[in-house]
Formats: sequence, C-alpha cells, structure tokens
Amino acid sequence: MNSLIFDISITFMVIAIIPCIYRVIKGPTIPDRVIAVDAMTTVIVVILGIYSYMQESAFFMDVALVLAIISFVGTVTISKYLDEGAVF
Amino acid sequence: MKRYILYSMFLGLIWCFVHGTVNFNNFLIGALLGPIVIRPFRSLYGFENKISYQKVIRKIPKLMRYFYVLFIEIIKANIMVAKIILQPKMDIKPGIIAVPIRTKTNTGITAIANTITLTPGTLTIDVSDNKEVLYVHAIDASDPQGLCDSIRDDLEEYVLEAFE
Amino acid sequence: MIEIGLIQDIISTFLLVVGAFFVFLGMVGLIRLPDVYNRLHATTKIGTLGAFGVMLSIVAKVGLEPIGVKAITVGLFILLTAPVAAHMIGRAAHRHGVGLCKESVIDEYGKEYNK
Repeated sequence: MNSLIFDISITFMVIAIIPCIYRVIKGPTIPDRVIAVDAMTTVIVVILGIYSYMQESAFFMDVALVLAIISFVGTVTISKYLDEGAVF
Repeated sequence: MKRYILYSMFLGLIWCFVHGTVNFNNFLIGALLGPIVIRPFRSLYGFENKISYQKVIRKIPKLMRYFYVLFIEIIKANIMVAKIILQPKMDIKPGIIAVPIRTKTNTGITAIANTITLTPGTLTIDVSDNKEVLYVHAIDASDPQGLCDSIRDDLEEYVLEAFE
Repeated sequence: MIEIGLIQDIISTFLLVVGAFFVFLGMVGLIRLPDVYNRLHATTKIGTLGAFGVMLSIVAKVGLEPIGVKAITVGLFILLTAPVAAHMIGRAAHRHGVGLCKESVIDEYGKEYNK
C-alpha cells in the first residue's frame, strides 16, 4: 500500500511538469520562462526526494540538494543579467 | 574571536546536516574547518559590531516565537493562494504598493523582506535606495492603507524583536 | 509498538498527499494566473510549502537516518532561498520592462523608478 502511494505521487509530480514545459515554450516574456524553469527544478527535487526513499539510498538526496543549489544560483545569475546587462 | 567560535559552531551543525549523521565527530570536523571558511569571507559576517553570548542566548525565545508566527502565516498564505487558483473565474486586483518600514539594519531588512514574501498575498519586489520603503506586490491591492497597517502591526513587531 | 508505526505511517502519508497536491496546485497556477508577478506568488509560496511538506513526510517515515537528515537540509534550503530568488526575478522583470497585467489597480514602483 505504501509503495502504491509513492508510485501515485511520482506520477502526479511528473504530470505537474507539463504546465512548466508549456510555460517555457509559450511564455510571452523571458522572466516567465525563468520562473517556469525554477518551478520545474522544485518539482524535480520533490521527485528525487520521493525516489530516494523508495530506493532507500541517501545519494539521491545529495543529488536533490545539489540541484536546488544550482537552480538558486542560476536564477540569481539570470536575474542579474536581465537587470544590469552583466553578471558581475 | 567570539564571532569565530559562534559561527564555527553554526557551520559545524550545518556540516552535520549535510553529511547525514549528527554526531560529535562530524560536529568537531565542521567546527575545526569553520574558521578557514569564515576568514576569506569576513566582510559578509559583520565583524565590526560587538557581540556577546548573553545577547545571543537571550534572543532565542524571541526567535522561536518569530518562527511560530511565520509558520502560521505560511500556512494561511498557501490556503489563500490555493483558493485564488482554484476558483473558476479569475477575480483579482493586483498592484505594487510602497510600504514604509522601521527596520534599519541589513539583517532586519532581509528578514522582513523574506517574511513578507512568505506571508499571504504579498511579495517584495525592491528596497528603495535610502532603505526606508519596501515595494510590495500584492495580489489584492484594493486597500493599500490596510495592507501597510497589517504589515506594520502584525509582522514587523516580531521581526524587530527577533533580529535587532 | 505497532501503534507507533501506524501513527507514523498516517502522519507521513497525510503530509505526502498534502505536499504533492500543493506542488501540483502551484504548477496549475503557473498556467492560470495572468502575469509574471502573480505567477511568482503561485510558485514561490505554494511550491515551497509543498516541497517542504514532502520532505517532512520523508522525515516522519524514516526518523533520523541519513535520508531523513538530508531531507530536512533540502527542505530548509528551499525554504530559505525561494523568497530571495523570487525577489530577484521580480525586480529584474520590472526593470526589464515587463508591465503589470490589465487587471492591476496601482503601481507605485513604476512611478519611482521612471522619474
């Protein structure tokens, strides 16, 4: 029963990526696309967390942490680039 | 010196959490490697101000109350935005409002900006140059004065107590 | 002993369902809401609490094993950085020239920035 609930939530999360992809392709402006990619990373972090529990392996949680860090740094970099025209 | 010890203990705790097992050996490794990390980034840690252990310990209950209030507000915010998303017809009046704040230090401004972002219906966009006004995007901006009052009375009290 | 395990299971399943539902709702908001700033509301608040809820459910399931401790770390990191990222994108969008949607009633930042 437990494994069934985890399977269902992973399926649900994969469905939740579809709106993000729609927004990345369709989004009228660049900030829209940045937000969509950021949200997609959050969903993937959640998927990796659930998957890490299902496989009983702590390494997937490391992957999730690194992905969260990369997403944050990427978002801040793109925002600075949009704002000032240069990163540094 | 006091700051080195305090931040080293904090970094040791973070190292324990990243490593995955919380025990004394890991804490010691993190705390010993802490000063090497702090030294190159000294300008970020505010070394020019005085600090005392008593002050830090005295702030812990206020911080606990702040986090309790923050938690309640986050849950309220989620229910409110969820309702807006789930209603069949979009009926919103968004807008950007200037909110004056009383906090002066950089830590306090960061704390109140992040708190505003996580609380119901508001999102910080920018801080003015003289650090007196926050520009807040509200999802329901039909009553700007009421929003300013609610931020000043409900949230800023706790932030002022906990971070200054 | 069995009862403690049962309670743990119930709490964890409840948190998992609520968290996954909130993350899904945030992504629906990404489609439905009209402009950049309103979409930021959806992803920042709802996505963050959803992710935190899922991580808490894993902690409730395994306790203080390495998986659980790392799950707390990931959840706290997301909770700490989501507002900062939202603030940066919002500021960049406004300075980049993305206007507010047509339902908007007031814009005090534009006046200050354009003078």
